[in-house]
Amino acid sequence: MHLSLMMSRLKSIYGSAFFVALATMCLAFGQQPPPTAKSPGVNADSVIIGDFDKQVKEYLKLHKKAEAGVPPMKPTDSPEAITERRHMLASRIQTARQQAKQGDLFSPQVSQLYKRLIGMAYQASGPAKVGASLRHDEPVRDVKLQVNAVYPERTPLQTTPPSILTNLPPLPPELDYRIVGHDLVLRDTGANIIVDFIPAAIPPS
Amino acid sequence: MPSMKTCVAVALLGCITGAVVLAQTETPRLTLVESALESKVAASTTERLSAAACELPDEQKSIRLAVIGDSGTGGIEQYQVGQQMESCRAKSGFDFVLMMGDNIYGGKSPQDFERKFEAPYKSLLDAGVKFYASIGNHDDTNERLYKPFNMGGQRYYSFKKGNATFFALDSNYMDLAQLDWLERELSSTNTPWKICFMHHPLYSDGRYHGPDIDLRAHLEPLFEKYGVNVVFSGHDHVYERLKPEHGINYFVLGNSGELRFRNLKASAEMAAGFDTDRSFMVVEIAGDKLYFQAVSRTGQVVDSGALDRPQNR
Repeated sequence: MHLSLMMSRLKSIYGSAFFVALATMCLAFGQQPPPTAKSPGVNADSVIIGDFDKQVKEYLKLHKKAEAGVPPMKPTDSPEAITERRHMLASRIQTARQQAKQGDLFSPQVSQLYKRLIGMAYQASGPAKVGASLRHDEPVRDVKLQVNAVYPERTPLQTTPPSILTNLPPLPPELDYRIVGHDLVLRDTGANIIVDFIPAAIPPS
Repeated sequence: MPSMKTCVAVALLGCITGAVVLAQTETPRLTLVESALESKVAASTTERLSAAACELPDEQKSIRLAVIGDSGTGGIEQYQVGQQMESCRAKSGFDFVLMMGDNIYGGKSPQDFERKFEAPYKSLLDAGVKFYASIGNHDDTNERLYKPFNMGGQRYYSFKKGNATFFALDSNYMDLAQLDWLERELSSTNTPWKICFMHHPLYSDGRYHGPDIDLRAHLEPLFEKYGVNVVFSGHDHVYERLKPEHGINYFVLGNSGELRFRNLKASAEMAAGFDTDRSFMVVEIAGDKLYFQAVSRTGQVVDSGALDRPQNR
């Protein structure tokens, strides 16, 4: 989709506050910001997101290296093969990231920026809308988050509201953003591993 | 045009008396032409199981399908719904099933896949019926790799059957990439019928979850712009048919395994509901008509009707 079409659609949803966040992302990902988006914080924010992007790329290298040793990801009739692959991949990543700790990808600067972007998503789309979306889903609260641990298999994955998702820097398919209580989790989708998290990223509703 | 107060009163009365509350469409792009004669908020919880009374027109060159949602409990009721579906298939000949997510609750071991999917629908699978899954919040996203779910390894995908295109969406994670994909797919699809299905409902009178209004704000403009006719979803463990919203017909079907007993709170938007037992749907699309029946675990038809596809869509 052409960027202008995307912005047009999102503007109809969010209003103009969205564009400050979009400008930040555009700079970080090498696209031109919309001409109306001017903010003294944009350059600083783009540097922060650029740093996060580097960390994501580093993680992807590690993920792909771990993936090289497991069977290819392709559709199968065997649930066992799917489970085994997930466990093998998780185990290899966990071994490769034994020293991983909270804040490795979500540095304090990134965390601060993300909290701001999430706050803007709340404001732009209407706090009640995003809050209601979270409440009406199945809020996940009782998960003790630990970097490099497996996201509990039996615990549902809470829906991440689109207003938040579309206001955060996009991720490659190997990773996703998930919400646990008020924390934002960066999860490895293939291995179901908690890569990093930001405590208290979601405003209380 | 009745006032909002009138609509609410009628809806509440309908809920209390078990009567049908018919759609009041302002600009009906899909018109309910054959009112839901047998539709009711049924109260039957008897254990008497009878062969599903499903009857579809069985027109030539039509496509026939079933719909289930929130099915993967592995409980006896899921198996009973599976039996009713098989009985219905023998009559109506549907050859594929849409799954609204929460396909495998709890554990995700091979035994779970067997107990919560392969065994309850064994006779359907053996007969060559294809299941097309969407992902629910209780599912593992890696279920997309499970061949019997026909997701082609993707979280979201589309497929064509006859004169209809079906779009399976991942409503757990509606990011820009998926919205972009959906817009491209919808804009390049020429089939008369465009049908979306996903886990989370954009409209629902379920008390427990209710509608996802943030998701609605992102999806409904696309549905409207590109002429989506029907949207199926689950998540709320009830059956509900909504009055058309912006010309789109919404169904909630989240009680094919799970159930939230008497969880519906009828609003002015509700056309029909069933929240006292499990159910599934059978659908036939023939030309510009879509016929539907919702069938309970005990074989009762709890809602039925037909929708007309407007010529300008």
